[in-house]
Amino acid sequence: MLVLKSLAVLAGTSLASAANLTVSIPSSPPLLPNPSSLAPSTHAVLIGPPGVQYEAPIRRDNTFTFPDLAEASYLLTVHSRDYFFPPLRVDVTKAADGTQQETVQAWQTFRGNEWSNKGPFYGSSNGELKIQIQPSSQKNFYQDRGGFNIIDFVKSPMILMALVSVAFIFGMPYIMDNMDPEMKEEFDDMQKKGPLSGSSGAAAQLRNFDIAGWLAGKGSTTEQGAGDTSKKR
Amino acid sequence: MLLPLLTAVTLFLAPACAVFSDEAWNIDYHFALLGAPKEETSFFHRPNPSSKASLIYTLSEEHALGAVNPRDGSLVWRQILASGGDSHNTSFLRAGEGQDVVISGIGSEVAAWSAADGRLVWNVNADGPLEDVEILELSDGKETVGAKDAVALSGGEHPMVQRIDGASGAVKWQYSIDGSDAPYQLSASSTEVYAILLHKTILDYVKLRVVALDPVTGQKTDEYMLSSENELATADNVISVGANSASPIIAWTDAAHTTLKVNVVGTKSISSFSIERHDGNAIERVKLHAPYHINSLSHFLVHYETATSHWAEVYHIDLKNSKVEKAYSLPRVAGRGAFSTSTADANVYFTRVTRDELSTVSSASHGILGRWSLSSFGVASGVGEQVEPVHAVSEVSVKGDTVSAIRTTVLLSTGDWVLLRDGKGIWNRPEMLASTVAVTFAMPADVVALAQQLEVEAHGNPVAAYIHRVQRHVVDLQKLPSFLVSMPKKIVQGFLGTSADHAAGSDIFGFRQIIACATRSGRLVALDAGHPDRTLWNRDVADLKPGQSWRPSLSSTKDGVIQVSSAAGTGINYNATDGQQLAGDLPIIPDEPDLSTSRAVRYTMRGNSLEATYDWSPSWTFTPIHGERILNLVPRPVNDPVASIGKVLRDRRVLYKYLDSNIALLATAHDASSKANFYVLNTISGAIIYSNAHPNIDLTAPVPTIMSENWFAYSFTSEASDATTKGHQLVIGEVFESLIPDNRGAMGASSNYSTLQTATDPPFTLTQTYQIPEPISQLAVTRTRQGITSRQLLAVLPASNAIVGIPYGIVDPRRPVNRDPTKDEQAEGLMRYAPVLDFDPKWYLNHQREVVGIKNVVTAPALIESTSLVFAYGLDVFGTRLSPSFSFDILGRDFNKFQMLATVAALAVATFVVAPLVMRKQVDQRWRFL
Repeated sequence: MLVLKSLAVLAGTSLASAANLTVSIPSSPPLLPNPSSLAPSTHAVLIGPPGVQYEAPIRRDNTFTFPDLAEASYLLTVHSRDYFFPPLRVDVTKAADGTQQETVQAWQTFRGNEWSNKGPFYGSSNGELKIQIQPSSQKNFYQDRGGFNIIDFVKSPMILMALVSVAFIFGMPYIMDNMDPEMKEEFDDMQKKGPLSGSSGAAAQLRNFDIAGWLAGKGSTTEQGAGDTSKKR
Repeated sequence: MLLPLLTAVTLFLAPACAVFSDEAWNIDYHFALLGAPKEETSFFHRPNPSSKASLIYTLSEEHALGAVNPRDGSLVWRQILASGGDSHNTSFLRAGEGQDVVISGIGSEVAAWSAADGRLVWNVNADGPLEDVEILELSDGKETVGAKDAVALSGGEHPMVQRIDGASGAVKWQYSIDGSDAPYQLSASSTEVYAILLHKTILDYVKLRVVALDPVTGQKTDEYMLSSENELATADNVISVGANSASPIIAWTDAAHTTLKVNVVGTKSISSFSIERHDGNAIERVKLHAPYHINSLSHFLVHYETATSHWAEVYHIDLKNSKVEKAYSLPRVAGRGAFSTSTADANVYFTRVTRDELSTVSSASHGILGRWSLSSFGVASGVGEQVEPVHAVSEVSVKGDTVSAIRTTVLLSTGDWVLLRDGKGIWNRPEMLASTVAVTFAMPADVVALAQQLEVEAHGNPVAAYIHRVQRHVVDLQKLPSFLVSMPKKIVQGFLGTSADHAAGSDIFGFRQIIACATRSGRLVALDAGHPDRTLWNRDVADLKPGQSWRPSLSSTKDGVIQVSSAAGTGINYNATDGQQLAGDLPIIPDEPDLSTSRAVRYTMRGNSLEATYDWSPSWTFTPIHGERILNLVPRPVNDPVASIGKVLRDRRVLYKYLDSNIALLATAHDASSKANFYVLNTISGAIIYSNAHPNIDLTAPVPTIMSENWFAYSFTSEASDATTKGHQLVIGEVFESLIPDNRGAMGASSNYSTLQTATDPPFTLTQTYQIPEPISQLAVTRTRQGITSRQLLAVLPASNAIVGIPYGIVDPRRPVNRDPTKDEQAEGLMRYAPVLDFDPKWYLNHQREVVGIKNVVTAPALIESTSLVFAYGLDVFGTRLSPSFSFDILGRDFNKFQMLATVAALAVATFVVAPLVMRKQVDQRWRFL
């Protein structure tokens, strides 16, 4: 199907120009094993200089055909509902040997790059060019929500920390009870000397911190009255 | 430490604008429409000749070719045919018996489409506009096995008849028509192809010239002129040229519809019948219904229509002597009716649809084979409006002397296309929405009622307000019993997640807004955004004559009211909920300047310049440079709330936005040098705030523009030179008072501000250009109630048949160029600028659906801040809800109620289990201390 605005241009060019382009979509597993499954709205667009634009719907044999192309440099884009296709550059020029035939060439092109930056060569032919184009990726429309997963939940660091502390709270007394008496004594001693416990331990200091005294500029008065807190287990 | 966390947050934010798999298909709705089907291009056809299942094919008024599944009315495939843009609005669709292709003809193009999946098989361009396309049903041994050839008649400078190979699309022969006669139609019998031409006599009457061609060689075998004796004034009086029947016919009437003349093509004899008058009204239309198959009986039905009633007569053709005889007539019935022809083997059946009855007769005798009463067509219509059938297509299967099954699709006067199976409505397609030209959102009145009552209480004196409130509560109490009854069901539904958001009786979120659509045919159709599958009401508001057009504009001036105004008429108000016209509220066009509106600046396009008047005197004129034309002007929306006057940076400093409610984006084009200019104007003073020029632009491609808040966006297609890039670009610009944080620029020091005084320093504009993969035809922006939610740029992609929602953060012009973002910028969600912007398929609002032919997108705020309602129209109708910054004020579908209950239950269990342990431990401790 030709967009009519291109017809005026077509009429201007001589009818002898017979530059045809056929783009086919081959079977390309695993992405697209069966190109016949492409939606009927799949179409290819050739954008030439301002005002020149050709559009071709997909055919029954998975091809797009563009007959009678005018001499120009075109951007070929294949639009499909489910797949992305790479953009191509198609040049239709007068044949070098001066015959009526025209040369059709195709390269891959890259968006955002200058037009002269051409990618892999797809083919060149006098008069009629047949190229194959494969989808680059499939369109994935849907965002899945991170659903509730019990394993992920348990794996999270917060829950792991909580579980460990729960295990300690419940497990410690039993470990202590089953400890041999000497070991237990040693452990108690160690706890008393530990930096967090005992009268000079950080925990005790923190607990008995005399804020009023500190604010009043007194020195370390926390030693006083650090009573029998260390007695606790 | 903070940085990874913040990047995590931004990563988390990125998919916020995506379509979630649990929301897709639920919160969005889509009518894949074709437009009003045309009678002569709609039929039942089997896409696969070996199977019995048939589809309904149609080529509509909107030039959409499609196949509809008769089972549920769903669209199987669809192709939008380029009409060539000319006014020659004829299109053809034919299907040969037992063929797996359908052949369309539109403009100058004949194309064959695979009937099962809608792919192109071949296409041929005729040199002139097509006048007719037919399928040659004859078999001459020369055609390819299986595919039947097509014959096309084209007009234009070189009128000709072409025979096109049904398998390859190659032209087998062509016959050039000589003379200046206008080609009219084609007709094919089993032995010959007839081209019917209209010959103008000196007295300006029309005579029919018939050229008979040999179908094998394309040689002319015969030519003659039918003596129509000066009774054919125009071609409109030719009512039918039958095709592809055993004996094709031409029928015409005189201008006053008093006699019917019938000629069997190929003979020169004309049978004349006088048309009986059944009532006082003049006959308005005569239509002819004949079977389309070469081996069916050569019977036909003539359908007469007056303003108030219709009737029909059935005629038989004697094949041996080509005599036409009247067989029987069908009685007159009030209202309009539709007849359809269906065939089974050689038998022909006529199905009649009237306002309240569906009946089938055989063409051989007038005995009724099946009759079903129709109570209603099940479509919404205006109050007191009689829904009438316009045309119908049927598929009949007859066993013995009764109809065993009948499927009839009827186009109704409301614009709905319905399918009746054995007289019962199965589905309806709201095809009138395919010609929507204007749309507005309106709040239903019942939602508004509470807000109004609260307002009364807020503004009354305290005692009165208290009494009012007590009264309101008493009234509310009456609803308590029904509320209590429905409560358990609601709770169960709520937990099972079966209650859709709209199942709730009242709409507290504002999702159930009424969408009023004005169609080209002069109807106003209201949809419920919460229940889109049913039309609320559908009424004729414009009373247009055929061929007349209107340019309505819709607005909802106050809640619950829809105002329709047209270029010709004044605004008329309708109740949004039921479509009743509100009386006593008809405004009159002000002849004199209205004081209340005279302080507004008005714009007029005068010639090629834009003129603004203020206080009814010219204020400023914008005249483009010589050779330029104005493409479009987009002002900032009137209702465009902005929550914050600045952008708060990461270091707590503020970039002040340039917020002016009177700015507009103007695009001009210079065709000679294919250059486009874009200007941001202050519409009060006419000052140019920003301008930019782009050379090498394809001005035939769409140039959409949008303006909102303090930013604007536009898109165009650029042409390549070797050093530049070819393709489509999206430009986005944001206007700031100053680019220095915490600085308000020129406005900082002044305490007063006037839009009329041109500022000495223009504001600062940041722009960024992105290469996009495909063209954008239309831009829109989401709107929320207070403008706190971030905005999404909505772009219509005609090439992919999609609407994409681009998050503003992605196209933010403040993205750092040529360097990685600093930590502060990263924290704001700014990424390094990349020139290529790919549309992530997750941004497609329509996801897997294909929304075709979208002409415009309208947005409206919901009652909750997070959500914006979106409605797109054109050919298809598509609507959805968007939450550009998550649904932060509503529990979405991601909120797992079971999980919440399970957590509460687990905590309760844990409390009960742990309580005795804690108790014991406390008691133990007491003992230890003492």
